[in-house]
Amino acid sequence: MEEVVIEVADRPVKEVHQDIQAAAKAGKSILVRDTRSRHNLGVGLPEGCSVRFEGSVGYYCGGLNNGATIKIERNAGWGCGEAMASGHITVNGYAGMSVGAAMLGGTIHVRGDSGPRAGVAMKGGNLIVEGKIGYQSGFMAHGGKIIALGGAGTSCADALWEGEVWVTGDIDDLGVDAVVSEPTAEQVAEVDAILDPLGLKDTSRNWRRIVAGQRLWYFESRDAKAWLMI
Amino acid sequence: MVGRDLVELMDAQEHRGADSTGFAIYGVPRDSGYVVRAMGFDRNALSKDLEDFTAILRQHGGDHLEDPTWDDSSDRHYSVRMVISDPGDVTRWAGDADEICKRLEIQSVGRSLEIIKDTGGAYAVADKHHVRDMIGTHGLGHARLATESDVRPNASHPFWARPFPDVAIVHNGQITDYYTWRARLEHKGYRFMTYNDSELIAVWVSDRMKEGLSMEQALTRSIEEIDGVFTFMISRSDKIGWAKDRFAMKPLVVVDENGQIAAGTEEQAVRRVYDRDGVSIINHDGPSLHGIWGVGNRGAAA
Repeated sequence: MEEVVIEVADRPVKEVHQDIQAAAKAGKSILVRDTRSRHNLGVGLPEGCSVRFEGSVGYYCGGLNNGATIKIERNAGWGCGEAMASGHITVNGYAGMSVGAAMLGGTIHVRGDSGPRAGVAMKGGNLIVEGKIGYQSGFMAHGGKIIALGGAGTSCADALWEGEVWVTGDIDDLGVDAVVSEPTAEQVAEVDAILDPLGLKDTSRNWRRIVAGQRLWYFESRDAKAWLMI
Repeated sequence: MVGRDLVELMDAQEHRGADSTGFAIYGVPRDSGYVVRAMGFDRNALSKDLEDFTAILRQHGGDHLEDPTWDDSSDRHYSVRMVISDPGDVTRWAGDADEICKRLEIQSVGRSLEIIKDTGGAYAVADKHHVRDMIGTHGLGHARLATESDVRPNASHPFWARPFPDVAIVHNGQITDYYTWRARLEHKGYRFMTYNDSELIAVWVSDRMKEGLSMEQALTRSIEEIDGVFTFMISRSDKIGWAKDRFAMKPLVVVDENGQIAAGTEEQAVRRVYDRDGVSIINHDGPSLHGIWGVGNRGAAA
């Protein structure tokens, strides 16, 4: 596929965005250069679009993704892939606060660590972090899976709703109403099937699968303290 | 140059809020005497304000070492820079000088600290007050989006930790137990010029240090005791400390290379100062973090 090179530098992001959209429409693969950690790059990209960001990106890169394949060669700022519906985002470095926030579907793959509240309020899809997930990751997630291969920071899976947080490595501590449950062989196989295409499958791992303790699902005035633990 | 770099950092972050911009710049420190930055609210009363200010200063054994200078804009408010000899007791003099604060409000006092702030964006404030030409060892900058208190030139950041010479703060966030802490500090004799919660943190930390805590201890306590969300940086002539709240709500991005440090809220801003691709960026994203950077080497003033 022919590759189009788009420079960011100090150009208005709107212009950069129009260039990316035009190249995507023409069916070309896209290399974005000189990104300078600018915000809102590659937001709302369509299915079939393939974009590679050569440097670090700022906030909300790949947000509202609608099926595009996005590669970020260095770090991503806050809210990478926020509210994405489908597609695939790879972050080669560190992903800042709230990567995959409120995502609905698709896959985000972070090769480094992630900041606090990875997968906050996520509704679906898979968020895979090869390093450690930061403080309060999975906070109030409603669905989907967060899979951390390098441990988890404090307050892990705090106030989790219906999502799952899978961790290998140390968990600094669990959040409110987060419960470790023993995964079944079928559940582990399901996670391995997610990791396999990323080249990360390893059947020797000791998984901890964290789910909601369901105490916060219904407000119980006699147990109000459970709501006031943070 | 410190002034020029801070202006660029603030311009890059102006999209976060541009109602006011401010700078705290530490010039080459004086061995004695203080630089005073003050803001008057009625340009027509400038001579009378300075006359009264000088009278109070003389009552405390101080005097002007240079002729005061002020901005030549046509704004109603004016910013004045003075260099004074040491008053007998800085705290008592500052307290008395604040008797005319409704007309002329001290913005900073320091051997090296000068706080310049105004309404408007980074370039507008820099042009008006010649911030880019300021040299020094270190400094703070702030672009403000007012959320819970007035937009006024004196209500913008950085804040001076009244009456502690050479202490300034910038803060991103809000303090939810502000009135409780303010009442306690006022009870101890501290005076606040605005209802901005950031002004409180500077005094809070300085008060703890006055009671004998090290800066590190005071920062750690602030994380435990002050309720709210914050990343703040507090600077003195020899160090800059920073602290982040327990919930990791506000970012801090740092480049620390070759003995030089640039820090900001956003990575794209510090890249204005360090634009090399390979520069290593530190994201202090976690909860309850604090740190202290040693600064203020006179020989490195630029």
